[in-house]
Amino acid sequence: MKAVIGEDIWMSYKTFFGGKKPALEGVSLEIDEGEIFGILGPNAAGKTTLISILSTLLIPDRGRVEVLGMDAFKETKRVKGRINISSGLNLPWSLSVYECLKFFSLAYGIPNSKIDELIESFELSDFRDVEFEELSTGNKQKLSLAKTFINDPELVFLDEPTTGLDPDVARKVRKKILEIHEERNITIVLTTHYMSEAEQLCDRIIFLNRGKIIAEGTQKELKRIIGAKDLITIELTSPPDESILRRVASAKNVYGFDLREDRLVFYVDDSEKRLKEILEILKPSWDKIKRITMEEATLEDVFLGLTKRG
Amino acid sequence: MFGLNMGEELRRTLAFSYKNVIMTKRNFFTIFEMLFWPLISLFSIGLMGAYLDIMENKFAFIMIGAIALSVIQLAQLDVTYVLLFDVWSKSLKYTFATPSSFYQMIIGAWFVGILRGFVAFVALSLFSIFIFDFDFTKLPLIDLLLFLFGLFFAAMLIGMAACILMLVFGRRAEISAWTLTAIIMLICGIYYPVSVLPEAARQIALLIPVTHFLEYFRSFYGFPTTLPNPLLVGFAQSVVYFLIGAGMSEWALKRARKNGMIIKLSE
Repeated sequence: MKAVIGEDIWMSYKTFFGGKKPALEGVSLEIDEGEIFGILGPNAAGKTTLISILSTLLIPDRGRVEVLGMDAFKETKRVKGRINISSGLNLPWSLSVYECLKFFSLAYGIPNSKIDELIESFELSDFRDVEFEELSTGNKQKLSLAKTFINDPELVFLDEPTTGLDPDVARKVRKKILEIHEERNITIVLTTHYMSEAEQLCDRIIFLNRGKIIAEGTQKELKRIIGAKDLITIELTSPPDESILRRVASAKNVYGFDLREDRLVFYVDDSEKRLKEILEILKPSWDKIKRITMEEATLEDVFLGLTKRG
Repeated sequence: MFGLNMGEELRRTLAFSYKNVIMTKRNFFTIFEMLFWPLISLFSIGLMGAYLDIMENKFAFIMIGAIALSVIQLAQLDVTYVLLFDVWSKSLKYTFATPSSFYQMIIGAWFVGILRGFVAFVALSLFSIFIFDFDFTKLPLIDLLLFLFGLFFAAMLIGMAACILMLVFGRRAEISAWTLTAIIMLICGIYYPVSVLPEAARQIALLIPVTHFLEYFRSFYGFPTTLPNPLLVGFAQSVVYFLIGAGMSEWALKRARKNGMIIKLSE
């Protein structure tokens, strides 16, 4: 069964001068029950708008959204009772950890029995009576996540769950997300702009750019989409001539090409096979070559390749 | 099943009472606005009345207005705070992500408004008895309770209107939390009979429940009522406005979900 079905979702916001700024343009997606689904994209790609629509906080201009088999905009109250969302580190400021969870527990209409369990599970016992505004960023995020599980949701939306956290806390949060997913077998939809996070957590991923899905699939599928399994990086003392750059960019079997300062980055199907061809083109600049590295393409490389095309 | 749902609905309503109680307890300004400003207002008006040496029944007239204004304003603020606290905390989207309804938010917060308003009423009544020898509780208890309930009902309607304005116009409308009651009280004859108002304003005053509640209450202090069945009309108007308000809040909420106002108010 599908946890989420979104069909042809269009959303735009009014601008100051009365015009319309598109945020999503014909987005369609299907999310299976029990999977961790990633929505990736650069800033202003439409990730938060999409997650807000799927969690019923926004009604799109056009399109249909089905959540857990229910129409998200006709059976909104029922849907809300079975999902939850964590988006940004803002909760009522004067409420302590316990009070905050108690408030949301009541607002979801459920007894308070889960609160202590969640406080313990998210390592917030020492901060039980500390007000939200007094918590560290990491503990605020933990509380936001704990709140997300207060109603035993079947589907949760996590909007950039590790943004602003230090690496150690971010690692713990990712570990917790995986643990909860495994324990409860719930569907998790998360947005992130950290590729490593998506690689670590997500079963399937969509890439959003300027309100459109530019690719979707598993990590392997996405890498295959742009044909780039491997990356070749050639560091130079100074950039080569324009004519050479034009030739390498249009070389056969080079799926993507990027000049990052004095580094040439090639997205290729097979680094061992393509290196020779690339070096042949670069022959006039051999004396400028400092270092050559070959590695498997990461999701970030795929993303860069896709947004260049998009 | 029915019982379980009723329990859920009640819990959802009480969630907002709970939040408002904690927020009120933690924020000094809410205690201040519950006692300091109402007492200052009553004290200054009482002193002015004493200085002007006005007749006892006219003194009662303005004291009733002063107390009613404070009680309505306080109870109304609590209703508005249910949205304002979330806007200030930038957590509004979390509240609207729960299955609680808008009316549950309003009613839950209103319960706290009634409590705070009642505390202020008791404090002001005692103050007026001891300082100005004016007994606000002379009339039969049932009539006093009906009057108070009328004021609390009006407070909920004003609070609801302020919340609707915020959902429609965003942060620009925050000011309505502190101005709506003052404007309404100005029209409905807070320190004067509505007959002194220009005709157009008088006609508007007749459409405001508080005008009728004040008229009813003042009738116990030697001011014969000029309006027919003021209590009945006041409550009938309140019920009609409540139904209109419920419809308007559904519309405003849907609009806020369409144009992204809930998200904007959470940023």
